[in-house]
Amino acid sequence: MSEAAMQNRLFIPRSCLTTEGNKTGSWRFLRPRYEDKTAPCAAGCPAGEDIPKIEMLTAQGFFKEAWETILQENPFPAVCGRVCFHPCEGSCNRGEYDDSVAVHTLERFLSDTAARYDFRPSFARLPSRKERISVVGAGPAGLAAAWFLTLLGYSCDVFEASPEAGGVLRWGIPAYRLPADALRQDLRRFEREGIRIFTRRPMDRQFFAEAAGRYQAVILACGHGRGQSLSIPGEMEVGVIEGLDFLRMIRASEMAVGGGTEAVIVNGAGCGRSMDTLGEGEAAAEGSEFPGKIGEGALSSFDGLTAVIGGGNTAVDVARSVIRLGGKAVICYRRRRQDMPAFADEVRMALEEGVALEGLVSPAAAGRDGEEIVLSLRQMIVAGMEGSGRARVIPDGDKMKEVRVRRVIRATGAGPEESWMLPAVEGTKVLALSHCRLVSGEGKLVVVYAGDLANATKSVAHAIASGKEAAIALNALLREGSEAVIPRLQACAVGDGPALSMEVCLGGERRLRSRHIVSYTEINTDHFGFAPRITQPRLLVEERVRSFAEIDLKISAGLAMKEAERCFNCGLCNGCDKCWLYCPDVAVIREGEARRIHYDYCKGCGICVVECPRNAMSLGEGEGEG
Amino acid sequence: MDAEITEREYMHSGHVGCPGCGATIAMRFFLKAMGEKTVLVLPACCWSIIAGSYPQSTLKIPVIHAAFETGGATASGVRAALDMLGDTETTVVTWAGDGGTFDIGFQSLSGAVERNEDFLYVCYDNEAYMNTGIQRSSSTPYGAWTTTTPGREWKKMRKKNIVEALVAHRIPYAATASIAFPEDLLRKAEKAKGIKGSRFLHIYASCPTGWRIPSEMSVKIARMAVQTNIFPLYEVEDGLRYTINHKPRGYLVREYFRHQGRFQHLTDRDLDEIQKMVNEDWELLLRKAGERV
Amino acid sequence: MRRVIEGSHAVAEAVRLARVQVTSAYPITPQTHIVEILSEYCEKGALKARFLRMESEHSCLAALIGAQLMGVRTFTATSSQGLAYMHELLHWAAGARLPIVMAEVNRALAPGWNIWTDQTDSLSQRDTGWIQLYCEDGQEVLDSTLLAFRLAETVNLPVMVVLDAFYLSHTYEPVDIPTEEEADRFLPPYAPRFRMDTAEPCSFGALVPPGDYMEMRHDMALAMEDALMQLVEIEGEFTRIFGRRHGPIEAIDCNDAEIILVTSGTITSTARLVVRTLRERGEKIGLLKIRLFRPFPTAILRETIGRAKKVAVIDRNCSFGAGGIFAQELRAALCNLDPRPLIYGYIAGLGGRDVTPEVIEEIYRRTQSTDRPEAEGVWIGLREAL
Repeated sequence: MSEAAMQNRLFIPRSCLTTEGNKTGSWRFLRPRYEDKTAPCAAGCPAGEDIPKIEMLTAQGFFKEAWETILQENPFPAVCGRVCFHPCEGSCNRGEYDDSVAVHTLERFLSDTAARYDFRPSFARLPSRKERISVVGAGPAGLAAAWFLTLLGYSCDVFEASPEAGGVLRWGIPAYRLPADALRQDLRRFEREGIRIFTRRPMDRQFFAEAAGRYQAVILACGHGRGQSLSIPGEMEVGVIEGLDFLRMIRASEMAVGGGTEAVIVNGAGCGRSMDTLGEGEAAAEGSEFPGKIGEGALSSFDGLTAVIGGGNTAVDVARSVIRLGGKAVICYRRRRQDMPAFADEVRMALEEGVALEGLVSPAAAGRDGEEIVLSLRQMIVAGMEGSGRARVIPDGDKMKEVRVRRVIRATGAGPEESWMLPAVEGTKVLALSHCRLVSGEGKLVVVYAGDLANATKSVAHAIASGKEAAIALNALLREGSEAVIPRLQACAVGDGPALSMEVCLGGERRLRSRHIVSYTEINTDHFGFAPRITQPRLLVEERVRSFAEIDLKISAGLAMKEAERCFNCGLCNGCDKCWLYCPDVAVIREGEARRIHYDYCKGCGICVVECPRNAMSLGEGEGEG
Repeated sequence: MDAEITEREYMHSGHVGCPGCGATIAMRFFLKAMGEKTVLVLPACCWSIIAGSYPQSTLKIPVIHAAFETGGATASGVRAALDMLGDTETTVVTWAGDGGTFDIGFQSLSGAVERNEDFLYVCYDNEAYMNTGIQRSSSTPYGAWTTTTPGREWKKMRKKNIVEALVAHRIPYAATASIAFPEDLLRKAEKAKGIKGSRFLHIYASCPTGWRIPSEMSVKIARMAVQTNIFPLYEVEDGLRYTINHKPRGYLVREYFRHQGRFQHLTDRDLDEIQKMVNEDWELLLRKAGERV
Repeated sequence: MRRVIEGSHAVAEAVRLARVQVTSAYPITPQTHIVEILSEYCEKGALKARFLRMESEHSCLAALIGAQLMGVRTFTATSSQGLAYMHELLHWAAGARLPIVMAEVNRALAPGWNIWTDQTDSLSQRDTGWIQLYCEDGQEVLDSTLLAFRLAETVNLPVMVVLDAFYLSHTYEPVDIPTEEEADRFLPPYAPRFRMDTAEPCSFGALVPPGDYMEMRHDMALAMEDALMQLVEIEGEFTRIFGRRHGPIEAIDCNDAEIILVTSGTITSTARLVVRTLRERGEKIGLLKIRLFRPFPTAILRETIGRAKKVAVIDRNCSFGAGGIFAQELRAALCNLDPRPLIYGYIAGLGGRDVTPEVIEEIYRRTQSTDRPEAEGVWIGLREAL
């Protein structure tokens, strides 16, 4: 070294080398990793919607993407956003913190937004197949089956007896809950995706004979169109009206208003007539004035009191429709209010609107007295509880009650219209699944019973679930044989099932999620603050009863995002980056949207896993891939 | 993701901090607020080791390792030199543990603050002399086990209130902060950076090793300390104006103590005593903040 | 310009001429005048420096360590208890290779508060790695302080300029004060070999494992060894500019001396008188003044006094259990010579007790009249045991 260099050299403790040479990952004995898991709402949704993802996208303002996420699992967002009984909210973890997230309201918002901006969705689907499937009944189950089969690559033809598609969605549920326009938002999409719907095509035995030649399978989803009789003396004589028919007539009158030529009127005695018995133009004029007349109180046939027998949604729908037609209604139910199978919200609104409720009464007989009907009601008492939490009732001795009403409408249950609609119980090859029944045989046409025909729980969400299950099961059967059906269904389950995911079935990212359902105690609530749940804006009672206008109003995007932010996104990484933030070793790398752990340096302290607000990370033993 | 928190890192991976070390989390947050025009004076503490052994350096800013008790004094010299060199941008920061702040370093801290030296003093508090193996300091809380307060000799003196001691100097800015409240910490660091004169940050930094807690609980424990009012988040300006930044629901202290090995020996009676002490201190703070008459 | 000023003032003038940028201060008698004058200079603008009024001596040195690391020239002054308090950081400043200059006013250590001159305080710090220069008079104080900066910055080791309490610090003497132009010619602005810089961040002083520490210390040792030669060279330049030279040692009448007195500090002035007187009487006496104590100028000493029969070292200090420190160091320096003089160690003047010509003459007589030293360290001037 030169003299000058010697002069300048100083060996001092001056350090400038990075510490990155120390691979502190070798200290680790526990290994954190990103692991998306299943949310209880998604598992609780019969259609298996990816709810945490929907809310995450909504909160971030990605409304179209959120809406597409719904469509991947449920082709009826506009419908469900209005009429679903939202079991998701019942299992929502946020409910244990403050209030459950208003998933239902947000679904409605997304469908409204999609309609407003005419979103054209894109979603995963398989390449076209040669098989053709026929679907009988364009209700929620049948259409859902057609939708999912289309995603699986099949071409579908749907046959519907009524003039318009929709089933209960069009002909059962009143317009103040589900307007025809809203239904059309969803229905439009089916046609756009190439599903052919043939209306005014009722089914008969001959169809099966012809179908075998043209189709590889038939999905029977005709629903329960025949109302159950009360089986009391005088039922026929006094002219007890079937609730389902009553609702159907009201929905049919909208066609006249819309300019259609078909119309049905209610005659003085209150019995309905089937639509196809009308001659063209026969009652068109009166039909077109029907709602108006009713609304103005000009039609006298709806004065007085109407007794509605039953406690389910149909009974409540009937009673609330009566109110809107200018009449008064009293619901007569054999158990108590809290035992009614109808949605609690609906019952509450009915009572607000002036519907009376007689609990613990059962019809015994009906007799006519001039203009009035005398309805004898047996009084009931609670005699214990059933397993389901509902009261078990028995007659209270001989105690009876009488009510005098103008008319009686029954809504005590329904069954399939034709006997051949009933699913086979045993036979060649019957596969009884959770929401549908598969009947197949060597060389025979495969028949799948779906919807109310095969579901234990009769709801729109379960109908959609049924359609999905039918589609996935049918696909497995056709592609791999009947042995493959149950394994395939299990592979697509959300959590423990029975909800299924089409995204998983099509090989999407959701298949990578752990089946573990995140519980409330696994959420790190430190990262949240109390926030009140949005209140669904509604028409005032006075406004509600005046017409069949939709009760639930729209919400703004701002409110929607705020509500969606309340969602914990259980088990789903939403990019909050608390993992990155708290890592003492700067060992969480962000690469665009993705995150990964730098295992060269991660010491396995586990802070990321504990701080993850939503349990989207796991801490495990041993090494293995990242 | 918090858009306000910069992605820029001033700390390398590969440092030898214990898994879950709160002090490293504190430094990482702090430097994000400070930026690269910072000189760090580092008296003896855990960070003396975490900062890297020769020839490695963990931080991307200049670091002056200083003798244990000289945090305030060395920084005074550094500031004077920068002034003479005409540098008005660089912030002088002393980064010290509780030992080097509350005990041996107290004199030089007090001296520097009395002179209103233009520097930012940060005490990251893990409540004992951790670097030398968990010995008690005047920052160790009432009730704690340490190697020099073992068994029945658990610490029966209250934790010294360093912020109040400095407030008595009419320090321009003093504040508490916690690794579990990063936005609050960053806001205070940035605020402190913009003030001239002496500034003090007291950061609660959990120590899994010394407190006998599982490493993954490091941040959660820090949060609990605030939620139980054991370590309130507040700031004092000019030694006069108190602002309490966070009014938690006031969880029972029992919850906080239950999770830590260093407190396992405490009986229910001891915990009741402690609850009273915490309530008392909290009431006092509220009065100072003008929230109680 | 020649002025009559006290020793403290001479220090301050040198610091002013050296254009120190940061100075720290803590009061302790008898150093205080130094910092008071510097304070005035800073206030008037005669010295453009930051004046840090620290809260202790330990903090004074800590502040300078911080400042010097940032790349500015620094200075402080202390004494006795203050120096002892700084002890930890004296090691630190040297280990950090920082060219800090400090004026150290030799004062006795307590207990028994004693503010008068005694060398035990500065000599207790002889292991810390600081270069030590012991001054005899006011001129030497100014010159040593000025060149201390040059020396320190050349070898990257701190320098302690030592002056006796009161006998030097508070004594007025005529001193030649250089002009600013001359001083600037001799001492250019500080150009640090390393400094902390946010543009090139690094850490300084981190943990150094056994594998590297020894080499760093060896580097220091080499620098310390080199300091003697550097001092000689620098003084050469000093002489050219200012016309004065003090040297690491000064030998008076040593060539043919049989007995050589070894002194340091102000005792040297008194000893000069005694040597002149005794020489007039025909005694073969010589005087060796040690100015540079660290590094200990072994080679020059061997050459200069190696041939004497006896050497009498006057120590105004004591290392308990081993006697006077200059004596110890000298014994060590000469132990491998063969033949070598007998070393007589004398301890005198502790706690400011006056070392008069009579005391020195007694030392000479006792040395002369004994074949060998009576003891390792003979205490001179004690009062009768009470």
